[in-house]
Amino acid sequence: MSRTITIEPVTRIEGHARISLQLADTGEVEDARFHLTQFRGFEKFCEGRPYREMPALTARTCGICPVSHLLASNKACDDLLAVSIPPTAEKLRRVMNLAQLVQSHALSFFHLSSPDLLLGWDADPKSRNIFGVMQQQPELAKDGIRLRQIGQTIIEILGGKKIHPTWVVPGGVSEALSQDKRDAMQAMLPEALEIAKRTYATFKALLPKFKDEASHFGTLPTLFLSLVSETGQLEHCTGVLRVKDAKGRIIEDKVPPRDYRRLIGEAVEDFSYMKFPYYKPMGYPRGIYRVGPLARLNNADSCGTPYADVALAEFRTLQEESGPVASSFHYHYARLVEIIYAIERMQRILKEPDILDTRVRAHARGNRQEGIGVSEAPRGTLMHHYKIDENGLITWVDLIIATGHNNLAMNRSIKQVADAYVDGTQLNEGMLNRVEAVIRCYDPCLSCASHAYGKMPLVIELQDAQGEVIDRLVRD
Amino acid sequence: MRPALVIGYGSPIRGDDAIGPLVADRLQQQQLPDGVRVEARHILTAELAAELAEVAQVIFLDAAVDLPPGELRIQPLAPDTSALSTMAHFHDPRELLAWCQGLYGRVPEAWLITAGGADFDYGHFHLSEAAEHAATRMIQSVLDMLALKNLG
Repeated sequence: MSRTITIEPVTRIEGHARISLQLADTGEVEDARFHLTQFRGFEKFCEGRPYREMPALTARTCGICPVSHLLASNKACDDLLAVSIPPTAEKLRRVMNLAQLVQSHALSFFHLSSPDLLLGWDADPKSRNIFGVMQQQPELAKDGIRLRQIGQTIIEILGGKKIHPTWVVPGGVSEALSQDKRDAMQAMLPEALEIAKRTYATFKALLPKFKDEASHFGTLPTLFLSLVSETGQLEHCTGVLRVKDAKGRIIEDKVPPRDYRRLIGEAVEDFSYMKFPYYKPMGYPRGIYRVGPLARLNNADSCGTPYADVALAEFRTLQEESGPVASSFHYHYARLVEIIYAIERMQRILKEPDILDTRVRAHARGNRQEGIGVSEAPRGTLMHHYKIDENGLITWVDLIIATGHNNLAMNRSIKQVADAYVDGTQLNEGMLNRVEAVIRCYDPCLSCASHAYGKMPLVIELQDAQGEVIDRLVRD
Repeated sequence: MRPALVIGYGSPIRGDDAIGPLVADRLQQQQLPDGVRVEARHILTAELAAELAEVAQVIFLDAAVDLPPGELRIQPLAPDTSALSTMAHFHDPRELLAWCQGLYGRVPEAWLITAGGADFDYGHFHLSEAAEHAATRMIQSVLDMLALKNLG
C-alpha cells in the first residue's frame, strides 16, 4: 500500500506551503511535491490602476523584499516612459538594491538557516530556532541583527523609510543624495564588511560537517539563469540575461531583458498556486533551471570586487568536477559571497564623484503601451511586465518572481532529499526537517511567488494509495 | 537612552490593518516629548530588537480582529520566547522583546495598543469609520502614556 507524507506548513521560509511525500509499499519515496496553498492575485487586482501606482502597489507583495519589487516595477515604468534614467540615479538605485540584498541574505542565513546549520537537523525542534542560536552563539546572532540593521538603515537613509520606501520613481529617483547621507552610509560599511567576512570564515569552517547534506540537497543537473553585466560580471540591477547549462556552457548570452519571453515559458500544475517557469527552448519540464545567488555566481565570470572575487574562487572549488556548483545546499555559501560583494560594491559606488549629482530623474509621459523591468532580487531574477491602455491604466500584468523560477528545482530537490533521508516506516524530526531544509536553501518567498500573505505552521500527512490520510503531524 | 519608541505596524493596502502605521504617521506631526521616536512599519522585523534595547519604553500600535470594530485595548507586554513566529517575515512584539532580552540583556517597558477593525480586504486604502474613530483615541492614548512617562 503506498502512502503520502505531507509536511505543512514548512517553517522558517517566507509564506505558506505544504510538502507531500508519496510513499510506495516498500517505504521508498515515489513522488514529492511542494504545494503553495495560498493565493492573492496581485496580477488581477492591479488591472485598472494607473501604471504610476504599480511600484507602490507591487512593493506591498512582500515585507521582506519590497525594494526588489520597487526596482523591477520602476524599471518596467521606465520602459513605459521609454526613457534612459540618469547615471547617478542608476547608481543610487543600485545602492538601495545592494542594501536590500544584504538585509535579506542576512535574514536568510542568520535567522532562518543558522538554527539548522549550528544546532543540527537532529536537534530538538523546541530549541532548534533563533533562541537556541542566541544561547549557543550570541555574537553570531548579534552579527545577524547588526547586518540587517545596516542594510535597513541604508534603505531608510535613501528612501526615507525602511519598509516600502517611495524614493525610487519612474525615470530615476525623487531626490538626489546629500553629502551627509552619503557619509552616514559610508560610515557603517566597514563594520558590515567585517561582520560579513567573519561570518563567511565561520561558515567555511563548518562546511566539512555538511558533506552528506551537500551531496543530497538538490544536487541537480539544471540550467542556471541570471542577469550578468555587459562584460559578464555579477549583476543585480541592469545588464543582460545569461543561461548556462549543467556543464557550465553558456547557451544564451547578452539577451536583452525585454526578450525574456523567448527564454521563459510558464506551466501550471493543479497542486500549487505557484507557477512553474521553464526554459522555453527545452520545453516543460526538461527546461528546469535555477535562479538566485547560486545561479548568479555560477553564471558570472567574476564579481569585480576584491574580497568577493577571492570568495568566488573558493566557491568554485565546492564542485569537484569542472562545471557549475550543482548543490542547492551551496545557496547558503553563495549568499555569504554576495553579502561581501554587495558591501564592497556599495563602498565603491559611494566613493564615485558623481554620486552627489543632482540630475537624478528623467521626466516623460507614457510613450509605450508595454513595459518590462527585470532586476535581481535576493532570491533571484524578478520580472515585471505591464501593458497599459491609452489612458495609462493597467490592462495586463505578469510577475515572474524569483521563487517561482526555482519551483521545478525545489520539487526535484525535495524528491532527492526524501530519497536519501526519508524512510516511510520511521518518521522522525531530523529527516523531515532535512526535507524542509532543502526548501530553505532556496530561501523561498512564497508571499511573492503566490502574491500571498500568511503565516507558516507545518503539517505532515501520510496518505495511502487511495488518498486517505492515515497519519498526520502538525507543528505550530 | 532614548525615552520612548512608538511603532505602528500593519499593511497599508488592507483597510483597517493600516491603523498602526497611519496613527504613527499622524503622531509624527504632533509635538512629542524630546527624544521620542515614532516609526510606521508594514511588519515587525528582526533588527528592531536592537532598537528596543536602547529605549526606556516602547509602545506598539496594531489592528485587531478579536475586538469589536472601533474598540481600543491597551495591554502591557512581556518577553515571550513561545511567541516564536513560524516565519521570520513577521514578528510578534513579545518575540521581539524576547530577542532583545536574550541578546542585549534588557527590555524596555512595553505596551501594545490595538484597535478592532471592520474591514481588512486587499486593495482597500482607507480606514473604516469605526477604525477612524479608534485612530483618534489611539493617538490620545499614546500622547497620554508618553506624558505620564515624561512626568515620571
